[in-house]
Amino acid sequence: MSDNPTQNKAETGRESRLVKVWDLPTRVFHWSLVSMVFIGIITGYIAPEWWMGLHVWAGYITVTLLVFRLVWGMFGSEYARLETFTFSPVHILEHMKEIISLRPVRHYIGHNPSGAVMIFALLFVLSVITVSGLLVLGGEENQGPLAGAASYAISEIAAPIHNIFVIILIAMIVMHVSGVILEGKLTGENLVSSMFTGLKRVPKGTPPLVHRRARPFAAFLVTATFFAIGGSLLAAFATMPPSGLRHLPANETYETECGDCHAAFHPSLLPAKSWADMMATLDDHFGEDASLDAETANEIALYLAEYAGEEWDTEAANRFRVLDPKHPMQITATPYWVRKHDEIDPETFKRKGIGVKSNCSGCHTDHYSGRFDDQKIKIPEVKVK
Amino acid sequence: MKNAKIFLITLSMAAMFAVSAEAGPREDIIAGFMAQGAGPADPAKGKAMYNANYGTGKVETPKCQSCHGATPQAGGETRTAKPIDPMAVSKAPDRFTDKKKVDKWFLRNCRGVIGRECTAQEKVDFIAFMVTQ
Ligand code: HEC
Ligand code: HEC
Ligand code: HEC
Repeated sequence: MSDNPTQNKAETGRESRLVKVWDLPTRVFHWSLVSMVFIGIITGYIAPEWWMGLHVWAGYITVTLLVFRLVWGMFGSEYARLETFTFSPVHILEHMKEIISLRPVRHYIGHNPSGAVMIFALLFVLSVITVSGLLVLGGEENQGPLAGAASYAISEIAAPIHNIFVIILIAMIVMHVSGVILEGKLTGENLVSSMFTGLKRVPKGTPPLVHRRARPFAAFLVTATFFAIGGSLLAAFATMPPSGLRHLPANETYETECGDCHAAFHPSLLPAKSWADMMATLDDHFGEDASLDAETANEIALYLAEYAGEEWDTEAANRFRVLDPKHPMQITATPYWVRKHDEIDPETFKRKGIGVKSNCSGCHTDHYSGRFDDQKIKIPEVKVK
Repeated sequence: MKNAKIFLITLSMAAMFAVSAEAGPREDIIAGFMAQGAGPADPAKGKAMYNANYGTGKVETPKCQSCHGATPQAGGETRTAKPIDPMAVSKAPDRFTDKKKVDKWFLRNCRGVIGRECTAQEKVDFIAFMVTQ
């Protein structure tokens, strides 16, 4: 609410001069956040999915940065403090009007009112993005601190929120950058270089500035307390077993008998009905006779029924429950499988170590767990055969 | 003289023991097919079987070679690209030593390739051929 004390009205006739406005932590925060958002967007949209590890780390670091910024907003030096750029709505509107009508705007040493609105909006949008990201990570991929707390259903709500807010974020970044350029044009200030050097030129006539100093020790204490509490909360969540990922007891009969011709598929990859139909038609199994004696077949059928797709809440199990009606026993015919693998060159499947597309183990190093994490995909490189 | 006699007895016992060691699970399996009506094994017929192009079973697999490789020594690959050890006993000594496994695969592979179950005679011929390889 405070009007910036350094906002220039009085004329003293002194020369313009450089003053330190952005302290080091604020500048480091700003550019770190820029890098993390950049990495997050690139790894989210462009890079192959097994870069998700980097994406998730960018997210964690973003959360850390956001927390730090709020703390520094209380204990930082003058212009880092949130109160110095909390303006009244009237004040904000006035400033926006000035900008829109391209009138030379009043000079603010710290953040100007429109910029301040952008900062609070960015903090909010980034919080939504990171929280929804954590929910997707936990619900869909069964990873991260919320793997136990978030169900697949939650992740289905969180995923579109994550995506929409990223689009909003990109729009805001565009506005933020144009704002900086525009403001530079109108006031002749180079805001970008200020964010590197921390120095801003104040117009002549600016009275001596009274700066409150940073209180790094207090900031450190609060940040440490926050991470201690937040960290142990998350750690407590993280001890919950991933929701939807059950323990699959090994079944030797299944692994040897159904592993004779191909690696035994994880039972979660097809619904119970598909497995039952398959076990009833083993003499004509995808163009092959895979018949088993009744006793063995029965044991396997029971095992598959008990651990079929319906019994799991992993992403793979949820997705592969939607079958291709023409090939209801084929994982590689499900719409999701086809969609996820349609960018893979058919030749790639012929590589040594893969051979056929149904050989999940050739590329998914975690196929035995049924998780099929993005980070666990390793396509063999050598192109022999 | 007496010593020589004992020596001979010991020797023949050792020889018998060696023979009975020969008569391991594979021989039991062959004996089982004999009991089902197979006559003396003919490796040449087994060879013909291995090389034949039947085309009377499933379209994907017209011959034994489709999966087991061009020669018994070569080794092969399932249609799902899993390697199969050679069938030749010289290369894979534990071939045809597990009754359940032999029965399971003769049933599957004969139906899949020939379109019917193999006779006991065909089975002993096939195994006899692989033993010579
Ligand atoms: C005799 C060899 C053989 C045995 C034994 C066998 N399979 Fe298969 N299986 C195949 C072949 C060949 C395919 C077709 C693969 C392809 O088209 O790429 C296949 C495909 C499959 C698929 C579909 C994979 C896809 O493309 O989505 C499933 C599921 C499957 N098998 C499950 C089983 C189960 C369960 C058992 C044990 C009861 C079993 N298989 C035993 C040969 C076998
Ligand atoms: C040639 C290597 C290859 C084979 C073989 C393969 N996959 Fe994949 N799979 C990939 C790649 C690469 C991706 C990531 C594609 C993307 O999202 O852009 C993927 C993605 C997936 C995903 C989605 C993962 C996620 O969280 O987004 C699932 C589930 C999956 N595969 C299951 C399977 C199953 C089941 C099989 C076997 C029937 C299989 N894959 C065979 C390479 C392979
Ligand atoms: C569709 C692929 C395929 C075809 C075609 C095929 N086999 Fe097989 N066969 C296998 C597989 C897989 C195994 C088990 C893998 C192993 O033992 O290494 C096997 C094992 C066997 C065994 C058991 C060997 C043992 O060690 O006990 C016999 C016997 C056999 N096959 C006979 C035949 C005969 C005879 C034919 C032709 C009429 C034939 N196979 C054709 C895939 C095939």
